[in-house]
Amino acid sequence: LLLWEAWAQSKNPVTRQGSPLQGPRIRLIEEAQRLFSHSKEHDFEAKACDEQARLLKIQQELEAKTGKAIFVDTSVSDTIRTCIVLKNHREAQRIRVEFKVPDKRFYWLKVLALAYIKDWDALEKF
Amino acid sequence: MAQLPPLENAPINLIGLRKEAQLDLVEALDSMRGRKLLVLDPKLSGPLTLIVQISLLKEHGVENLSHLSGDPIQSDCTNVIYIVRPHLTLMKLIAAQIQHDKRNQQERQYSLYFMPRRSTACEKVLEAEGVHGGITFGEYRMFPIPFDDDVLSLEHELVLKELQVDGDPTSLWDLALTINNLQSRFGLIPNVKGKGDAAKKVFSIMKKMQEEQALTTPEGQPEIDTLILLDRQVDLVTPMCSQLTYEGLVDEFLNINNGCVELDPAILGGDKKVKVPLNSSDKLYRDLRDLNFGVVGGILREKAASMKQDYTDVKTTNQEFSDLKKFVKKMHALPEMTRHIDISQYLTTFTRKRSFMSRLIMEQTLVEGQEYDICYEYIEEMINKQEPLISVLRLLVILSVTNNGLQKKHFDYFRRELLQSYGWENLFFINDLERAGLLRKQESKSNWLTLKRGLRLVVSDTDDSNPKDISYAFSGYAPLSIRLVQHALHASGWRGIEDMMKLLPGATFEERQGSQQQRRSSFSHRPPSLTNLTTGHQRMPSANNLTDLANNVDGRRALVLVVFIGGVTFAEISALRFLSSQESMKHDVIVLTTKLCNGTSFLQSLQTNPLGG
Repeated sequence: LLLWEAWAQSKNPVTRQGSPLQGPRIRLIEEAQRLFSHSKEHDFEAKACDEQARLLKIQQELEAKTGKAIFVDTSVSDTIRTCIVLKNHREAQRIRVEFKVPDKRFYWLKVLALAYIKDWDALEKF
Repeated sequence: MAQLPPLENAPINLIGLRKEAQLDLVEALDSMRGRKLLVLDPKLSGPLTLIVQISLLKEHGVENLSHLSGDPIQSDCTNVIYIVRPHLTLMKLIAAQIQHDKRNQQERQYSLYFMPRRSTACEKVLEAEGVHGGITFGEYRMFPIPFDDDVLSLEHELVLKELQVDGDPTSLWDLALTINNLQSRFGLIPNVKGKGDAAKKVFSIMKKMQEEQALTTPEGQPEIDTLILLDRQVDLVTPMCSQLTYEGLVDEFLNINNGCVELDPAILGGDKKVKVPLNSSDKLYRDLRDLNFGVVGGILREKAASMKQDYTDVKTTNQEFSDLKKFVKKMHALPEMTRHIDISQYLTTFTRKRSFMSRLIMEQTLVEGQEYDICYEYIEEMINKQEPLISVLRLLVILSVTNNGLQKKHFDYFRRELLQSYGWENLFFINDLERAGLLRKQESKSNWLTLKRGLRLVVSDTDDSNPKDISYAFSGYAPLSIRLVQHALHASGWRGIEDMMKLLPGATFEERQGSQQQRRSSFSHRPPSLTNLTTGHQRMPSANNLTDLANNVDGRRALVLVVFIGGVTFAEISALRFLSSQESMKHDVIVLTTKLCNGTSFLQSLQTNPLGG
């Protein structure tokens, strides 16, 4: 069991050594997830890997859409915030649902992001 | 260049200790003739400045000093000396530098000193890179670095990680070797007490080393009376709490590194960063460092007022010369005075913040162990606001340790929240925290409340300006680690609190080191072993050693060496100093630790960087 984990761990850093090609990276993370899911104990890790793979895919799409290379390698929260800052509320909502972000955190992110771009009207409405 | 801490007032001869470290270093330098370049492991250069001054290095032909990095060597020196910790990543850097020289047909001589010991794995790396043959190898023995009259440290920051996460006990060997070296200097320490598995292990290694290779102790009464070994695992709560002593706060907000603090121009005025040494040579600092920060301001004001009074006295009245002299002497303390006023003013900008106060309240609530729901909410909100990961974790760790882990539901929830907020790569970090026992799933009920009551960890009526208990260092929370030391030095020892000791993790032991080992040692010959390669000094074994090492009959205060395996915070040291200053205490205390740390640096030592390795 530990071996599996160690192997997956050593693999993951390799994947992180950021080539701009996200494709192989995602595949490696999915591989790690598969390894983690071999045992019940690493349930959590498996889920985390799964989420990360999905997140990377979404971030890739976002970068393609916005033409800005600022999404990859940021966290779920960061991504939501960036979306709101860019006034892309629809995407923010989508990520919120996709990753089951708790309401509280989402609202905090939204408030902080809106304050950051000084969008007081939106802040008022919300 | 910072000054070396003066050690004249140390209860044991620490200057001698430092001298020896200097001599060993000089020996290493002199092993190569002529001018040379000294390349240091960046992690070591700070601690080394506490041992030697640059001028001494220059005297021994060191032309240039540089930090080991990925860049090739820029120097025309043909001799290069490396002094590094035996880490694999560093070997790669060294190999790259040598290979670069080869390609450029730059002929140099290389020697490589490992601190504290050679490692086969490292040499294998160099072999694989094809540079092993061109290097002369040596060892630079591990010395405890004297930071002050009563503080020694090995400055080995990765002990916790190596020990708990990687399961690598090398650092315990180093520590055991260090303590044995101290014993060969200052005499076999008769009383040994320890708590925690690492403590037990260090002691058994010490004994084993003594058996394998005669420990020779100087004649006469041993200078150190009691050795207390404490495993950091026994008390993980204290380092996570915000330190509230002056020195502790300086460390929390400004970071004390190698006995120095680097001050921004914004604090002192002027236009560049200033490095200020913080040790007992600064008399004012010596008075202030261990006090609760709450009273520091008042004392500074008082001192300033008395100085002003003196000043007017001098101006108005006719004074004897002796009085004038006294006055001028006092004036010399003026720069220190202004400095500390500046520093404390700067600190109050933090301590007056609402967030700091609410954090303290939260810590207090956590150690009280009554209402956890508020704490859950508070930490959740911190994560939501994306406050720095480490400060979130410090609270979460207290929560986890005092609760003997988080309930599975909360554990998974927080882990998920952390990953989603701070990035997925922290999965490894959290994993390591879990292995180090800092953050985990609850498996059985916590006994924190019993401990809290039994050891009086929360003292409600503390008067910070006139403290009666060690709890002043954290304004109400008495650090568990120091409470244990206090009980250990009590007449009944740890037997008096046996029930409590059982609740804490790891083995407990109290032993006496007798003269029996020594008698045996005088006949055994020294087998060639690792230390023999490294130790420069050897004392003749003394045949007739003391048989009675029992009490100090001459009324001298007994000296206690407290060893913290895995790091110690400044506030804990302050609390220890406070203990030894109490009238009822007949002990002076010296602290030896693997690393001076605070909660932040403690957690950071576990934070692996997946990119850099």
